[in-house]
Amino acid sequence: MLTYNLRLAWKSVRRYPVLSALILLGIALGVGVSTTFITAYHVLARDPVPGKSESLYYVRMNSWGAADDPFLQTPPPIVTWRDAQELLKSRIPVHSTATFASRGTVFPADGARPLRQSLRLATADFFPMFAVPFRYGGPWSREADAKPETVAVIDSALNDRLFGGADSVGRTIRVEKAELRIVGVLAPWRPRVRAFGLFGSPLQAPESIFLPLALTGPMALQPNEGQMNWRTPAPGEDKLPYASRLMVNEILFLGFWAELPNPESVKAYKSFLDAYVTEQKKHGRFPHPLNNRLTSILDLMAELKVVPPQTKALAAISLLFLVVAALNLIGLFLGKFLARASTVGVRRALGASRWTIFVQHLVECELMGLAGGALGVLLSLAGLAVLNRVYGDGPAGVAFFQLDVPMVLAAVILSLLAGAIAGLYPAWRICAIPPARHLKSQ
Amino acid sequence: MEFGPIFRSLLRSRARVILIVAEVALTLAIVANCLSLILDTRAQLAKPSGFDDEHLIAIQATPFDDRLRDPKILDQLVEQDRRTLRAVAGVRAVSHTSLRPWERSGSITAVRLPGTRNEPARTQSAEADPGLFDTLGLPIVQGRGFTQAEYDQGGDAPLSEVQPVVVSRALADHLYPGGGAVGKPIADADESQRFTIVGIVDHFYNPFGETSEKIMLLPARSASFDYGSRYLVRTQGNPAPLMPQLEKALLGVEKGRFIKLRTTVENRDEYHGRDRLLVGSLNAVMALLVLVTALGIVGLTSFSVAERQRQIGTRRALGADRLAIVRHFLLENWMVTSFGVVLGVLLAYGLNFGIVTWVAGARLSAATVAAGALALWTIGLGAALGPALRGARVQPAIATRNV
Amino acid sequence: MPMLKLDNVSKIYRTGLVETRALRDFSLTVDEGEFVTITGPSGSGKTTFLNVSGLLDAFEQGKYWLDGMDVSRLSDREMSRVRNEKIGFIFQGFNLLPDLDVFDNVDVPLRYRRLPAKERKARIEKAIAMVGLSSRLRHLPSQLSGGQQQRVAIARVLAGDPKLILADEPTGNLDSAMAREIMEILEQVNEARTTIIMVTHNPEHAARAHRQLHIADGRLVDFERITPFPLNRVEREISSRQVAG
Repeated sequence: MLTYNLRLAWKSVRRYPVLSALILLGIALGVGVSTTFITAYHVLARDPVPGKSESLYYVRMNSWGAADDPFLQTPPPIVTWRDAQELLKSRIPVHSTATFASRGTVFPADGARPLRQSLRLATADFFPMFAVPFRYGGPWSREADAKPETVAVIDSALNDRLFGGADSVGRTIRVEKAELRIVGVLAPWRPRVRAFGLFGSPLQAPESIFLPLALTGPMALQPNEGQMNWRTPAPGEDKLPYASRLMVNEILFLGFWAELPNPESVKAYKSFLDAYVTEQKKHGRFPHPLNNRLTSILDLMAELKVVPPQTKALAAISLLFLVVAALNLIGLFLGKFLARASTVGVRRALGASRWTIFVQHLVECELMGLAGGALGVLLSLAGLAVLNRVYGDGPAGVAFFQLDVPMVLAAVILSLLAGAIAGLYPAWRICAIPPARHLKSQ
Repeated sequence: MEFGPIFRSLLRSRARVILIVAEVALTLAIVANCLSLILDTRAQLAKPSGFDDEHLIAIQATPFDDRLRDPKILDQLVEQDRRTLRAVAGVRAVSHTSLRPWERSGSITAVRLPGTRNEPARTQSAEADPGLFDTLGLPIVQGRGFTQAEYDQGGDAPLSEVQPVVVSRALADHLYPGGGAVGKPIADADESQRFTIVGIVDHFYNPFGETSEKIMLLPARSASFDYGSRYLVRTQGNPAPLMPQLEKALLGVEKGRFIKLRTTVENRDEYHGRDRLLVGSLNAVMALLVLVTALGIVGLTSFSVAERQRQIGTRRALGADRLAIVRHFLLENWMVTSFGVVLGVLLAYGLNFGIVTWVAGARLSAATVAAGALALWTIGLGAALGPALRGARVQPAIATRNV
Repeated sequence: MPMLKLDNVSKIYRTGLVETRALRDFSLTVDEGEFVTITGPSGSGKTTFLNVSGLLDAFEQGKYWLDGMDVSRLSDREMSRVRNEKIGFIFQGFNLLPDLDVFDNVDVPLRYRRLPAKERKARIEKAIAMVGLSSRLRHLPSQLSGGQQQRVAIARVLAGDPKLILADEPTGNLDSAMAREIMEILEQVNEARTTIIMVTHNPEHAARAHRQLHIADGRLVDFERITPFPLNRVEREISSRQVAG
């Protein structure tokens, strides 16, 4: 019966080509527009570290100096070196890391012209915390952080460029003046929202070289993505190398993350932070009232509006667009079905039940829905390509917005839904009219 | 006109009326809100920087050769670079500065009137040489710019020394609302450093951080090994063709460094990229939506004309001329569209309330809603015109054709 | 004084290459106040005659005077005006507008005449009273019987107060009781000096007219003279005895 209904639907499409094309176009536009903007929303809003967002917490403490400035009542988004070192000692979190972005020059072994590369300094825990995928080797050890060892993890693009994509674990790479031993090479990795860089540029690609945080001083690396300083350097202090000032001064430049798997550990860590700040107050630091913040990734994304509000508005508007398109189709289907009411009358006279007629017409609507939806998915690819021209700042070949399986499924469901919304009433109308009326009007 | 009978007859073709009303209402709600978002964003996009953006190139020179770690050598290099760049044909002015127009990058500092406990003003700050104002095309409207002497000693000046600064009108007015800011002092938030305003630039707009119109410019070299040195070049004509030449010239001076060049227009376009994308998307959604709705009205009206051929014939037999038939359908359509528009206005405010509450954005202005309503009325009538004209071509003799 | 005068009118339908002459050199005069019935086999040109004389359709050759006015070559606008003011139609299928109620249906021609609301209301109510449907003002056509629908159609004609009523088998879709009712109303209207031309299949109804005409093959035939002559002879004879003004 289904094949028969499909054949009837096909005949009906052939019989009214212009009308059918309009219907197809309507569904395609509705599905195309909504899939495009829902995908844009989905790519930005989805969990950036699947399975971890519940347990990854961002740490903020108000270490601003005393000043009668309302701005300083809010804890800064980053922490100082010395506070990070103390927090890293806590064993309450399963993992914890302090991290910042820098830039450095890589000197290829063959003496070719150096490369300027983005660097990320972090502790060993960084890799498991943010589910960083490796192709060769793995993260450095916690011991490497402590010593520190001159080791590095590089991304696949740099590995391709320097080592032709071979397993380069154990080989060395010169960054600034340091010879670093490669312990791991990443698999191609492009999180659309980088959870660890939410305060910097959350949509940028990750850095290409990762090194132990403890190398900051020895390698004289400087923060590249934002630092804050409230204290005027003491006389002569500004003549010190900047990297040394980072270690001893109140300069804020590190993002601090803790992995806390359950409410008990969150509570314990909160009291640990409070105890730490209370202790520091005795030494004259943290003059502001106790105001420590532990924020989960998803809350932080909401706070920082990582998904631009306009993207949300567009997603909502595009869904309404689909509704208008579906309303439109009700009219077109209604016209199409009623135009051939007499043939339905004949069918009814020949023994088709109301239900049969209803199903026949609904099948036609869903067929149009799916065909239009397929066309709509193609349209949304074009739409996303346009969006990617602006957002496409990732490594070569990675489009920022991509359709994934959930989005294609969503498009299919949307088109079936559009077909159903548009088809139910017309199909009901045509099957509800008494057959005699159809026959008479012939 | 025949409002009464048309209205009563509309009540009897409910499906068609409900469809058009719903379509028009939803479309109006969406179009009004899209328009509102577009106007909102366009206002941002239209703000000029006050600089000669079209003729500017930003150059970043980052050293990697160890020799260049010596600050003295770096300083000499700046002088050489400036001379070299200025010598390139087509270059109008050159400045060594840490100011980065449209790059979402820079430095923010807090300043206040010395000796007061007022809330400090947060302002952008940047280091600049005397040539900056010429290079940006940013005239000093009160006071003066920097002298070469101020610039030469600026970088090495001890903190205790009072530094001359040039500020934007927005900052001057904020600190000295009564005017006469030139010659007046300012200090940083903990008063460890003091400045004197020597000049004011009128229009400054460079969105970064929480302030876009306040700037404090200090005379100083801003070169360092880690962050490199930055130049702004103002060209006489189109800047893009000059870039390879400039890069070559700088590498000719010293090749132990990375040179990155971008036109300020590129930076500005990148800054505006997402907003433009938003405006473009909204425009596209609106255009497609209006198209879909217009097609819908054309379709529904065509069906209703086709369905009523015999009626039209009867009306013609009873003495309606062609114009009366066109008028009948247009009037009918206008009434339906008007229901939709009225409902749509309510819906537009509802949708706007939702967007403002849950997403963000500006309240809908009455003018925007009115523009949307007018547009939909026009579209409704335009869409009905074709089918109505077709209806008018129905021959009156159709009335005598028997069933 | 003649109400209607057709002089050598021809009407040709063209579909592709085929040409059909629906009326051939057709001449007829009907005086004011006359009640004329027209019979003829289907396809003989009765409906074309009604379309032409009702200004629903244009014709190619000949002249047509209605109420003393030459209406042979009028614009669409002028024709519409004449139809509206001078002619009333009654159709076999009633042709009421299905989504308008009784009152609004009767109102339609008056709207096109742009009469003030008060006068329209008075005329409508009077006309509906004349056909005895005052209790059904707000009923839709679908809620009425066939006879009632045709009475509404007649009320629609009466409200316009036309000089000429063209009726196209007004009783064709009705049972005999209802048909008689309709005929009685038409005769009443005719007594008030309104000219009526009625096409009918019903010989009994046809016989009630002042004059009976017969159309065959696009021409008018004197009713009494129809004899089973060979066709070419009939034609020759008719051409010499055409009923002329």
